[in-house]
Amino acid sequence: MADADEPSSIPNSIPSDPSDANLQKKHASVIERLANRNQTRLENSITRRSESDSSTSSTSSFLDRFSDSKRAIESALAQCRLTPPDPAQLRSHLDGISTSISDLEKLVAESSYSLPSYEVRASLKSISELKQALDNLNSELLPKKKFSFKNKATKKDQKSESKDPGLENADSMLMNKQQQASYSARDSPGIRDKDGEILVKNFKGSDVGEFTISGLSSCEVKLIGSVRALFIHKLRNCKVYTGPVMGSILIDDVEECTFAMASHQIRIHNAKKSDFYLRVRSRPIIEDSSSVRFAPYRVSYEGIEEDLTDATLGVETGNWENVDDFRWLRAVPSPNWSILPEDERIDTIKISPTEG
Amino acid sequence: MGLLSIIRKIKRKEKEMRILMVGLDNSGKTTIVLKINGEDTSVISPTLGFNIKTIIYHKYTLNIWDVGGQKTIRSCWRNYFEQRDGLVWVVDSSDLRRLDDCKSELDNLLKEERLSGASLLILANKQDIKGALSPEEIAKVLNLEAMDKTRHWKIVGCSAYTGEGLLEGFDWLVQDVASRIYVLD
Repeated sequence: MADADEPSSIPNSIPSDPSDANLQKKHASVIERLANRNQTRLENSITRRSESDSSTSSTSSFLDRFSDSKRAIESALAQCRLTPPDPAQLRSHLDGISTSISDLEKLVAESSYSLPSYEVRASLKSISELKQALDNLNSELLPKKKFSFKNKATKKDQKSESKDPGLENADSMLMNKQQQASYSARDSPGIRDKDGEILVKNFKGSDVGEFTISGLSSCEVKLIGSVRALFIHKLRNCKVYTGPVMGSILIDDVEECTFAMASHQIRIHNAKKSDFYLRVRSRPIIEDSSSVRFAPYRVSYEGIEEDLTDATLGVETGNWENVDDFRWLRAVPSPNWSILPEDERIDTIKISPTEG
Repeated sequence: MGLLSIIRKIKRKEKEMRILMVGLDNSGKTTIVLKINGEDTSVISPTLGFNIKTIIYHKYTLNIWDVGGQKTIRSCWRNYFEQRDGLVWVVDSSDLRRLDDCKSELDNLLKEERLSGASLLILANKQDIKGALSPEEIAKVLNLEAMDKTRHWKIVGCSAYTGEGLLEGFDWLVQDVASRIYVLD
């Protein structure tokens, strides 16, 4: 405006008509421009407001759609559990449910841009719960397909077996039980499928490679001495206390368990409501886990110091609290794990070799 | 002059090979790479993301991409498929329970067109652990014989802990890649 005002006061000193008219034209055009600008600004703000309206409405419509299909899936699951359809249709039925879950997941992914992050998180959580429920149903209703050899391979092996019938190695053992030839059924050292027992193993003086603890419920397992690799799978309400593991520990599918263990590497998958007392050379990791808590290692038995030193685990590394959550790759701390408060920690576990 | 021959020429000058290392988590990929490079292997955290190591091996420069194997990040593997000369699939021979997982992930990988030209080295790792399956047994479980006939592949037993077998495996891989790319040498 100032630009336009000033020239309009000048005409008094310079009385030339044509330029005056010119100036007035200019003035008018400036005012017009300003008015235009104001108008567009108003329009913009209106559209912006309606946009934000639509985003809140899209949130609520998303939530409606989400909860509708969630309810549909849940009722399908519940119905399936109550009155299982006949086996021939079961698989396709379950596949159908799984497709609708992934559709739901897609919906969340598509809307995730416009949704508040809380809603995204909440819906992702309920999706994973649905998936879990479907998995449970799957494993309840459908027998798990076992790994088996292809005909071609077994034929060849039979030949080689007949050449060397006395062969007592793992290979020929496997061939003998071709039908059930699942490698997990092999007599690898381990503790499997027990309920409500206290199990103590002493590895002192024996050369154990990998060791498996699987399918236990309400058991207490104590391992004295060290092993090279430890696999833990499907434990419910168990306590596991071990000496040092020279290699790595792989934990999968555990619930309401307590672990005290020392190792070079620890990977924890699908753990829920479990406590871990760890000493680790590297950073422990969790994946698909929730409500897991961590504290420093507390196990003692006669000679544990020596075993720990041999496994280069003689000193506390402080890594027990450096947990990486592979399902939470963000700057903010993962909600899936926490540090076990000191007053809730167990006392040092003392294992005596005569136990059990 | 075709595009392929230009690429060959450029590569020949650099004598560079791009190698991708993948496999399930806990199979020992990072340990293998560090062991080959003569580094300390006693403190290795599970790989979150990937590591790249450049190693001079005989007269070649190996660019080894070691990508984390945790389930969550397996879907990222495909971001590293472009222009691979060699593929190393690492198996934890002592992890019997997850061999079917291992097989299905490998099958998926080999379906990938971008990797169709890459030589495949399968390392049956952790042979030092008592109870580990032999490379022959692993080959059977993974049904390697049924693989596409055009694929160059080899399975080698190794131990990243002792270092045994690693050189044998990488010698084969480098020779095989070299015989395809540096034909005129």
